[in-house]
Amino acid sequence: MKQNKTSYLVGGSPAALLTLAAAFVMASSADLRAAVGMSVMVIASMLLSAIVMGALGRCIPDGVRLPANLLIITGCVSLIHMLMQAHFPVAVNLLGVYLAALAASPMMVQNAEGDGEAGLGMTVRTALTTALFLATVMIVCALIREALGSASIWGHSIAFLEPVKVPILSGAFGGYLVTAIVMAVINAVAAPRQTEKEEDGK
Amino acid sequence: MKVLKSALCLILIVAVFSLAMFGLNFYTGPLAEANQAGSALAPLLAVMPDGAAFGGDALIYDAQDAASSALTDVGEEVLRIYREANGNGYAIQCQTIGNYTGDPMELTFGVDAEGKVCGIQVDNYTDSIDARTQDENFLPSFLGQDSTLAEVSLVAGCTFSSSSIRNAVLAGMEALTANNLVSAGVKSPAQILTELIPEVAPGMAQGGVLKATEITPSGSMEAAYQADNGTGFAFIIDEASGSFLTMVNAMGGCAVYDVDGNDVTGSHDALVQEARTAAAANQQDFAEACQSKLQRMYEGAADINPVELNTFSTVVYAAGFRFENTDYTIFYCRPTGFDQMDVYVVLDTAGAIAKVDAKQLFFDTDYFPVDDTVDQPAYKAGFAGMTADSFPADAGVISGATMTSNAVRLAIADAFAAFSQLQNGGE
Repeated sequence: MKQNKTSYLVGGSPAALLTLAAAFVMASSADLRAAVGMSVMVIASMLLSAIVMGALGRCIPDGVRLPANLLIITGCVSLIHMLMQAHFPVAVNLLGVYLAALAASPMMVQNAEGDGEAGLGMTVRTALTTALFLATVMIVCALIREALGSASIWGHSIAFLEPVKVPILSGAFGGYLVTAIVMAVINAVAAPRQTEKEEDGK
Repeated sequence: MKVLKSALCLILIVAVFSLAMFGLNFYTGPLAEANQAGSALAPLLAVMPDGAAFGGDALIYDAQDAASSALTDVGEEVLRIYREANGNGYAIQCQTIGNYTGDPMELTFGVDAEGKVCGIQVDNYTDSIDARTQDENFLPSFLGQDSTLAEVSLVAGCTFSSSSIRNAVLAGMEALTANNLVSAGVKSPAQILTELIPEVAPGMAQGGVLKATEITPSGSMEAAYQADNGTGFAFIIDEASGSFLTMVNAMGGCAVYDVDGNDVTGSHDALVQEARTAAAANQQDFAEACQSKLQRMYEGAADINPVELNTFSTVVYAAGFRFENTDYTIFYCRPTGFDQMDVYVVLDTAGAIAKVDAKQLFFDTDYFPVDDTVDQPAYKAGFAGMTADSFPADAGVISGATMTSNAVRLAIADAFAAFSQLQNGGE
């Protein structure tokens, strides 16, 4: 398979990305509304920061690439946070301090960038792919946790699930459990692709 | 040079984003502040009519700083009072006192400019059974009510909870009327007399809350109540001269009160007769049950003579009897503890306790296994010899069974009071 930067995600080790993003994935996936809100934040902040990082890519010295990326994404998250506080205060209250965990995401983008030689287009594409992947994981976890943990979807109760709901899924332990299961499934799906890539490379 | 370039790069990034945030704050700052203020005022706006607004000086009373407020005579249930900015009324935040679990519930209600409740919501419900789901009309019944809350009735099965919520709203309304912020509603005579019942007939109430069922009134009666524990009846009867509260106890004793709470029994024989007739048609007979119990407590008891009492306590039957050449009086009491209780108190001629017994002391023992820790025969025997004057404040208290303890103590206190009345010739 041709090596490209997006293959890092699909053909690489996407489960590793989840390890970096575990905090806000678990925190925002107890409720579908929170997951959607966080997904929007993740996509917006990663896209914006990827555009800035991609544009400044060659201007940033290699030795300070990580702290520079950290400052860029922190600044982008702060700007988006200010806009959300103004227009979506309920979502901000729901997400709370876990918004700060988004600052960890430059690690994902940098790894995808490799040595920073990718251009603006590749950087943006990688960031968008990563953000959409994380958003998908959050929403899948939220669908599982809210439906089976709270017997509801989007805050609307589902009567036939009430007798079988497992409240612990809505808590921290449930977050770990569901995220781990999702990571295992992703690993199982990605493993054949990883093996194929290694064989192509030999 | 390389280090300098790296440092400059980082400083530049910080400067650019700082400037961006500074500039964006001019746009988002006021919006965020308005959102914050809005979220704090959300409970107030929810209970006020559309278009209501609360300015920065809306708070006119805060229980945490009552001294700085110009308002006086504000009950302890009231936490905060807000004045609506356009003169459309007030929003009051209260907490309940004396609800079932003891943990205060918090509620917010709005009062319009005419002094009527325009909205109400419970912000924090702490009791185990939700009165709002037991009776979906409970909270809506507050809407449109003035300071008398005349049309607000309690919820069966959640008497303490609904009563505490009603009392909290009442306290808020009284705070407004006491300070001439809204006009006071005028209570109808029927409402005044209904609220008098727990005061003059404590046997029909529990914790100051009337525990009675409304029954079909007859004749000139406006309302009729039958005590849930069978201790008597309360009738609100209209006469040409006004409305009166006529009480009949389980033994046929009767008392009449006017709207001012005065005992006017002596001058209303017709009301007494009407009430006794209505009560007799519905009154449960406790004589057989008590006499049967008496024989089990004192086998061979003789000369059993029922006595008439004019008390309105938990005593439903009393009788003198003779056992082994000694005279006693038995009082059959029906206090309400965790559940309805039947307590029998036997006093000797000196008014000292000879025996105390109960049909059942503990209820729901699957959930409250306190009966495993209490030697019931010893508990009952522990009251022997006590008199009204020597009855200790902690006599009969069972840890973990407060309601049962209080009910037993109430029954004994009522027996002492009834005995005293007998000794004083029925007065």
